[in-house]
Order: sequence, then structure tokens, then C-alpha cells
Amino acid sequence: MASTTARRRGNDFTSAAVRGFGYALIGLFALFCVLPFFLVLGTSFTAEKTITLHGYNLWPRDFSTFAYKIVFENPDLIVGSYAVTVCITIVGTAIGLFIVAMTGYALQRPDFRSRNAISFFIYFTTLFQGGVVPFYIIMTQWFQLKDNYLSVLLPGLMTPFLIIMMKSFVKSIPHAITESAKMDGAGDFRIFMSLILPMTTPALATIGLFIAIGYWNEWYNAMLFLSPNMSYRPLQLFLYNVVTSADFVRNSSVASNIQPRDMPLESMKMATAVVATGPVILFYPLVQRFFIQGITVGAVKG
Amino acid sequence: MKNLSFRKMLGGVLAAVLALSLAACSGSKNSADSTDKGSDGGKASASGSASTDNGAIDTSKFVTVSYVMLGNKPTNGQFEKVMEKVNALLKQKANANLEIKWVEWADWQTKYNLLLASGESLDLITTATDWLDAWPNAQKGAFMALDDLLPKYAPLTWQEVPQEDWAETKYKNQIMMIPEDHYTQWVNHGFIYRGDWAKELGITSPIKDFETLGQYFQGIKDKKPGVIPWDSEGTNLEMFDGYVNSYSDAISLPVSTGPIGIFYAPSYDQKFTAGSPVFEDTFLNFAKLMKEWGDKSYWRQDVLSYKGDAKTALEAGKSGGVEHHTQTFLGERYKMDQLQPGSELQFFPWSATRNNLVSMSITHGATALGAHSKNPERALMVYDLLRQDPEIYKLFNYGIEGVQYVVKDGKRYRPDGYDVQKDDFYSDFWGGRIDKNEIPDGTLWDGYKDLYASYDQIKKPYPYGRFVFDKNPVNNELTAITQVVSQSLPAIVFGKAGDPEKAVNDFRNQLKSAGYDKVVAELQKQLDAYKQQIGG
Repeated sequence: MASTTARRRGNDFTSAAVRGFGYALIGLFALFCVLPFFLVLGTSFTAEKTITLHGYNLWPRDFSTFAYKIVFENPDLIVGSYAVTVCITIVGTAIGLFIVAMTGYALQRPDFRSRNAISFFIYFTTLFQGGVVPFYIIMTQWFQLKDNYLSVLLPGLMTPFLIIMMKSFVKSIPHAITESAKMDGAGDFRIFMSLILPMTTPALATIGLFIAIGYWNEWYNAMLFLSPNMSYRPLQLFLYNVVTSADFVRNSSVASNIQPRDMPLESMKMATAVVATGPVILFYPLVQRFFIQGITVGAVKG
Repeated sequence: MKNLSFRKMLGGVLAAVLALSLAACSGSKNSADSTDKGSDGGKASASGSASTDNGAIDTSKFVTVSYVMLGNKPTNGQFEKVMEKVNALLKQKANANLEIKWVEWADWQTKYNLLLASGESLDLITTATDWLDAWPNAQKGAFMALDDLLPKYAPLTWQEVPQEDWAETKYKNQIMMIPEDHYTQWVNHGFIYRGDWAKELGITSPIKDFETLGQYFQGIKDKKPGVIPWDSEGTNLEMFDGYVNSYSDAISLPVSTGPIGIFYAPSYDQKFTAGSPVFEDTFLNFAKLMKEWGDKSYWRQDVLSYKGDAKTALEAGKSGGVEHHTQTFLGERYKMDQLQPGSELQFFPWSATRNNLVSMSITHGATALGAHSKNPERALMVYDLLRQDPEIYKLFNYGIEGVQYVVKDGKRYRPDGYDVQKDDFYSDFWGGRIDKNEIPDGTLWDGYKDLYASYDQIKKPYPYGRFVFDKNPVNNELTAITQVVSQSLPAIVFGKAGDPEKAVNDFRNQLKSAGYDKVVAELQKQLDAYKQQIGG
């Protein structure tokens, strides 16, 4: 009797030690992940001169909101950029998710005859691309999408990688379900909407997050196709422009006659990072549990 | 069986892809042809109307002229206010409206060339031979030839620019752009240092060579605790060019090798000979001196990875100087006179040691006309007004008097209560400024006239204005050399490469194996051809 309690106590002790060690390790790891972010946050509130003289600091030595002042120089502009990005992200994710899911489902149906050919065609575009100039000419001259938000929305709708991921996830759903539904008289679209979609929630959450982050961070297409004539452009492009122009004005010998304004370059970079990441950080925990499941299931069964 | 069908299918898909791409190619070719014809037609009709009108220019139709500017569009609303006034004047004088198309600093190299490659109908375009790919774009036919249009539609500019300057803008004997040749700007590099400290340290005459500069650094090290003699970013390799300038007569060739060019002609008299001081003793001496200076901590130990801003340290009184160009010095001097009164900022231009100074290219700024321009005549008229009409010029360059600037004693200042965020205006008109219409900037140091005068005495005309190095034959070698330069040169420049003799040897060997000889041979071939082309 005594010996069992002792043993149990011993077990408790080791498991507590192991657990404590584990917590410490994970805590430390988490700290390492979070620290850089705090460094960014701290630096964004530090006066530029202090950064130059003393380097980056976790805690601002010399509290200053000047960087944010420059970023928010024209509040309506940044609010407008936020609105554009949020709209594009929501609309793009909704449509993109639907199309990617449909494509992924169709491509794995064994009774879809040219599925391999079409899969190959989609895969092919990941290997060979036209390059920037043809892309630009097609978008601006053929489709006339210059200064049109569609030029940012459309290219992101279907990503080959996500289609392949979706395809391999749907493969894990037995084909028998589709067939039995068919026997009960359901049409293809009905099967997709009421049977397949509910069963692929984890994959949808994962892919949705990928698409959403893609749209959230989108600046290249916006840079190419949305000229400054548009009053509002996506957030990332707006912020990128704020930073690059300051950088350029300060370091370039090209434009020899610009009088550099006093730009808090380092703290401004950090401030833009904070402004850009904010909402994503809030959004991520909500879909996180699906996220892990979605990635692993898709990968293992693929 | 299954295999076979798959293979068939694959073949089918590939064939379809091929067919599609072929169709796409021929399609775009056709459209390009038709647009070309269109522009030719436009030009023909332009000259046609010119001859029938017998001199009088028909401006009855109100048109909008676009102008591609490099820079970020001002966002505080001032730009629109100024443009309203500019456009009112343009309507009155040329019945035209000017619309600025901005190419922002976000990936501007890509976007600028895409804009020209896409065949959009652009009118005026800021361009430059040394930083904006003017020649490659001219080769691709992105610009319209101006020979017939200029005398009639931009007569003042046509007369103002001398024939030898027009010659600099010609591609295949046709004028491709209007140079910014009547505007003084100097971007030759040098060392900006504190005159008050130099005096304190017993350096009474202006610094004119690296030896005295070394004395200045050592003096600061000894007598100014807490001050870094030269707090530099690790990306600034201009010291290399500075040393070459100071200790040889070599002049830099317009071939880019990443962070800094390493190809030079041995002297102005031998400007068509290609080589590199890297393979001469100059470079070894330079490496030795920099090792010595680095060991004496004239700059911070972590200089190679340091990304801070050198000017901020200078302004805070924590650094003995900044390496940058003349224009920066003039602005910095004025600023330092306010921030650190009595600092007496001085400038040691690298040309001071041996009077080795080459002018800037007159096409460092230029304006071209898009090949698909719909209103080439009116575009040139607008350009002529922007450049020559003092009222429009001042509006377009400085903004509205009283709001953006006030004039005191013939100099331009900001009005009292000027708020940069709210009132700032710029149009980045880098394609046709002229000294005649400029109001000197009061925030540039007064002494600029003496400095410019001293440059004028020794400057030699820029010899490579029309030289376009065709990189294609040596593209791979040049890329490899750029790699070597970016990887190894910074350590040598800041004396962090260990034993200088060994470092220099290694660097030379790396360049050789990257294909240095082949590039020099090709460069020489093209320089010979260029010499024939311009010298006859």
C-alpha cells in the first residue's frame, strides 16, 4: 500500500517535472516568437534619433508617436485603404473559396473523365508562366482592367496549390456517399452544396485563410494595375508606398534635388507593420483550430 | 490502354497550349502593327496639317495631355489646387489640360518599363539615360522621334538647346528626348565634415586628400569621446570611387556592377579604354588604408550590418561626417547651421585632390514623347510652356506663392506657419527645369555659388551621353561580377576583410573567374564602335 502511494507520488513528481519542463520549453519558445513583435511595437513608438543612437529597444526610451502621425497623415486615405482591403478580402475569399472548392471536388470525381487532363492543365500553370509583360498587357489592353478593383480580385480567385489541396482533401470522402445521394435523386450541385461542403469544413477554413491572407497582403497586382488616379488603393500598397518613398527620398542620388523631409524611417517601418498586421492577428485565433486540422488532413491523405 | 489514353490526352493538351500561345503571339503582333500604323498616321497628319496651315497652329480642339512623372502623388490635396491653376493657364495658352500620371517608388523600375512596353497612349514621359532606361526604350520604339515637331511646337526649347546637346539625344539620327541641359545640378560625391572640429584639431585649410581626412578622423577619435569619426551605413561603398578619383585620373564608365561600378577608363584622354582600377596598385593601397582606418575604429565595428541613417547621427553631434553628394551637402549645411550652430559643415569633394571631375550627363533628366501619343503637337506645346513660361514654371515647380513659398531677397523660403503635412507640394518635374526660371532655394547653403564656380573651372564634359552598353553578350558574366562585387567589396571598403593583400588578391581572382576579361573585351569593342560613331 505504502509502496503504491510512493510510486504514484513518484509518478506524479516525474510527470509534474516533465510537464513543468514542457511548459517552460513551450513558454520560452512562445516568448521567442512574441518578442520580435514587441520589438516592432516598441520601436514603432520610439523617436528616430533614439533608434539611430541606441538601436532598437523593447521598451521605447523616448516615447514618440511621430511615425504613426506620418502613417496616418491623411486619416481618410488610410481608412479608405482599409475599406478597400477588407472588401476585396471578404468578396475575394467568398468567391475564391466557392470556386476552389467546386474545382477541387469536380477534379477528384472518378466519373469525371477528363479530370487528369484538366488537373494537368492547372498544374501546368504553376510550372510555366507568361511573365510580367504579357500579364500586364493582357490585363490592361485586352481586359481593360486598369484602375479597376477586379484586376486585384480576379488573379487571386484560383490558386493551383489550393485547388490541389482541396482535391486531395475531398478524396478522403468516400465516393459511395456521392453515389448514394445520386441514387436518391440529388443533382451534382445539390450533392456538392449539402453533402460535400459541410464535410470539408476544416479544408474550407484552411483554404479560406490562405486566400484571405493572400488578399490581405496583396500589393503587387495593385501596384501594377491600380494607378494613383484611384483615390483609394489596398492597404499594403498604401503602406508600402509610404515607406518606399521615405526610403527613396533619403537615400537616392537619382533625384538629386528633392529636399528630404524629416522622415522617421525606422520607426515608420515598424509602425506600418503594426498597422498592417493588426486585424490578421485578431482573425487568426478564430479559425486556428480548423487550420491545423485542415492542413494535416489534407497532407496525410494526399 | 489507360496509359496510352493519358498520353494521348497529354499530347492533346500540349498541342492546345501550343496553338493557343501561337494564336496569342500572332494576335499581339497584329495589334502592335496596327497601333504602329496608327501612330505613323498621326505623325503624317501632324506634319500635313503643319504644312497646310502655313505656320499657324490649330488649337481649336481642347485636348488632355498626359505626363508620366516619377514619384509618389502628393496626398494632401495641394497638388490638385496647384494643377487647377496650371491648367487654367494651359487652357488659355494652348487650349490643353495637363494630367499627371505617377509612377510611384513602389517597384518603379518594373512599372515604368511596363507602362512603356504595354503600348498605352502616353504623351510626355520623364526619362533619363543614366537611371531610367531611356536608350533601351528608344531601341524598343517606345518614343516618338521629335525632329519635325520640335521647331514648330516647342520653338523656344528648340532654340535654347544647342545642336551639340540635341546630338546627345539622338538614336539612329533622330531626336528621342528633350534634355534637361540648362539646369545646374551636381551629384558628385565627397566627404561632408565639421569645419569647427577640423579647426579645433588644427586642420586649418579645407581637406583635399585622404591623408588629411585621416588626420581629421584620428583627431576626433582622440579628442571627442563618444563621437564616431564617421558613422556610416554598410551599404555606402562610395569611398572606393572616392579613392580612385583622388589617386588616379580614372573616370567611371557607365556600366553597372551592383552597389558600385568597378569599370573605369584610365583617364579623360583615354576615355575609350576599358579597364578597372581594381587590378592596379591604387586598389591595393586603398585596401591597406581602409584596413588601417577600420582597425583604428574610424567607423563602428558592426558597420557592415549597420542600417541606421548616417545623417541623423551627424545632426545629433555623434558623428564626424557623412559621405554623400554635393546636393546633400548644400541642404545638410543649412540644416546643421540651425541644429548645431557654428558647426561650419564643410565638403571635401573627391575631385578636389586631382581636379578629376566629369560633368553630369545632360540627360540625367529628360522628357520624351510616347510612340502612341495621340496629341504629339499639343504635348510639345505644353512642354514648351512648362519649361519656358515663368509663371507656369513657378507654379508647377514650387506651387502657389504665399502658400507653398515666399520670396525674400530673391530667394525661396517657406511661409510662416508652413505645415509640411498640410501644405507640402511637389510635382517632381525632373524632365525640363532651367536655371533661368529658378528661384534659388533659401534652404540651400549660400556658399553653393563658390562651390559650383570651383567645379566649373575643372569640369570636363560627360563623354558617355549616347553610349549604351549592350549587356546581352556578357549578361551572365556581368551578373557574376555583380555578385562578387556585392559580396566581397564591402568588407574591403570597410577594412573588414583581414589581410589586405590577400583580400585584394582573392577579390581579383574571383572577378577573373566570374568572367572579368570577357566583359572588358566586350566593353572595349563597344567603346571602339562608340568612338567611331561620335568621332567619325
